[in-house]
Parts: sequence; structure tokens; C-alpha cells
Amino acid sequence: MYFIGKDMDQFIQQKDYVDTAIVPLLEVDLSNEGVKRSAGASEYLQSLTALLEKQFKGRILLLPPISYAKKADRERIADELRQELEEAGFKHVFYLTTDVAWRTIDSLENIIWLPAIPIEHMDQKFRNSVMEDQLRQVLPLFTKEWTKPS
Amino acid sequence: MSNNRVSRRQFLGYTLTGVGGFMAAGMLMPMIRFAVDPILQENTAGDFILTDQAVADLSEEPVRVDFAYEQVDAWYTSEVTSSAWVYKEGDKIVALSPVCKHLGCTVNWAADPEHPTQFFCPCHAGRYEKNGQNIAGTPPLGPLDEFAVEDRNGFLAIGAVKANSLI
Repeated sequence: MYFIGKDMDQFIQQKDYVDTAIVPLLEVDLSNEGVKRSAGASEYLQSLTALLEKQFKGRILLLPPISYAKKADRERIADELRQELEEAGFKHVFYLTTDVAWRTIDSLENIIWLPAIPIEHMDQKFRNSVMEDQLRQVLPLFTKEWTKPS
Repeated sequence: MSNNRVSRRQFLGYTLTGVGGFMAAGMLMPMIRFAVDPILQENTAGDFILTDQAVADLSEEPVRVDFAYEQVDAWYTSEVTSSAWVYKEGDKIVALSPVCKHLGCTVNWAADPEHPTQFFCPCHAGRYEKNGQNIAGTPPLGPLDEFAVEDRNGFLAIGAVKANSLI
């Protein structure tokens, strides 16, 4: 489900079934050298999470991308997010990001780090097949987490 | 000189009626056009979307067929890709919607090794028979929807979603 008003009605009713949250973490870099890469990563991350939402609509809540500046304190963001999601009662939380800085932060479980693929120059068909491939790599991580005895 | 001469009064009367008529028409025409617009609107719901799946290649095993169409959200047009599970039953082509009737996940054919001849929803382990019939005891409460299909010069065209007609 998307984080939109319409889906929230269903989310509240079916809370037992929707036990997983996806949090895209997005670094915003507006410097001349970095803006293009940052925007490309955003595009990639959002199309990937949209595909995940389509596949697992009934079990996941896809949050809007959490955007932060380059120098943001990632530890603090991680702690605050984890706390909020815990209070909301999500059993599984996945963080998706293309930002390397998260690889060194171990206070979050289930961080999926992916190298961003520049998809902006691909035509629609090729882009779809590339993103499908990416999706296929991520899907097993979800099914594994769900079938894991807790 | 003709016999029926037009007096100044008559001339002004005709002119004013004429101009007034044009002005009234100018105001009424758009109103009438707006009023009848819904009737003139083309109906796009019955449109079929051509896919690149050849009908001859279909078998009894369901295959995933992707198709794209344009969706207009207010002023924003986007291309939406959707898919269907398509198989042949005798000579009849069956296209089922992959949207799970439980909470809307995407179901896959034979995704569960224990049930290789069923559709499986990875979210809450919902299962469907090949004809879309939901299996009792799993979360889904209804059968998978069906697409209208058409054979267009050897290629599959997919139309509107309708309720499952196989059950």
C-alpha cells in the first residue's frame, strides 16, 4: 500500500495483514557535481519500490522516501525511524537505499543497499526489463524474512 | 424603386433583431455543446490493447503477458504496465488478472513448490486453481478476475476486466 489517504482506510482495517514497512532512504545532494547522480538514484529507488508495492501490495506499507541532506546524522535518523515504526507495530521493516553511508550503520536491521542504475536514458521497454531484474533480486529477501521463524 | 419600401423604423428593427439573434446564438451554442457533450464522448472502456504475445505460442500452461496502456490522472498522463496470466483451454484463450482478491498483491503461477498447478500469492499464501477459483482455507474470498481477450491477426489483444466467467 502507498502512504496515501485512500490506502490508509484499508491499512487501518487490515492491520493484522499489513505487517511490513518499506522505507526508502534518499540522500539529497544538490551540488553541481552531485545533483544528477542524486536525482538518478531517487528515480531508481522510487521505481524499484513502486514495483515492490505492486507485487506485495497487501502486505507492505511503502513510506514516502525519507530525504536528508549529505551531512545528515544518519544514526539519529535511524534511531528515530526505528522507534516510530516499532511503536506502530510493524513486525518487519525494510530500508532500501543507494547511499553507501548506511553500510556502516548497524543499528538498523534489514538495510538493503543497492547500487543505483542510471535508468534515465533507457527506453520504456528496456527500463521495465532492467527494473524487473532488480526486483527479482530483492524479492527473495522479503520472502525469506517472512518465512523466518520468529 | 420597389413597392415595399423599408422605412427607417423597420430597417432599425430588422438590424437589431439580427444582431440580437447572433448574440443570443453566441451565448447559447456553447451551452448546448456542453449539455450534449457526454453523449458525444467516445467510449474507451471497450478498447483492446495489443500485446506482443503470439496466439499460436500459447499453451495450457499459463504464461505472463505484459501490456502497457496510458492512464490519465487529472492532467498527468502516465504509462501503466500491467500483466495477465494467459493460457489456452481447448481453443479458448483465457486471460486472468494477477491481482489477488485478498488485498491486491500480484499472484504468480506455480510459485509455491508444494502446489505446482495453482496460482500463489506470496503475501499471505493465498492460492487459486488454474481457472482462478480461490481455494477454501486460504485468505482470498473470491476468484481471480478475467480479462476480455481477442485474437488480432495472430496476436493477443487484452480488453476490459470482468468477473470470472469460468466458475
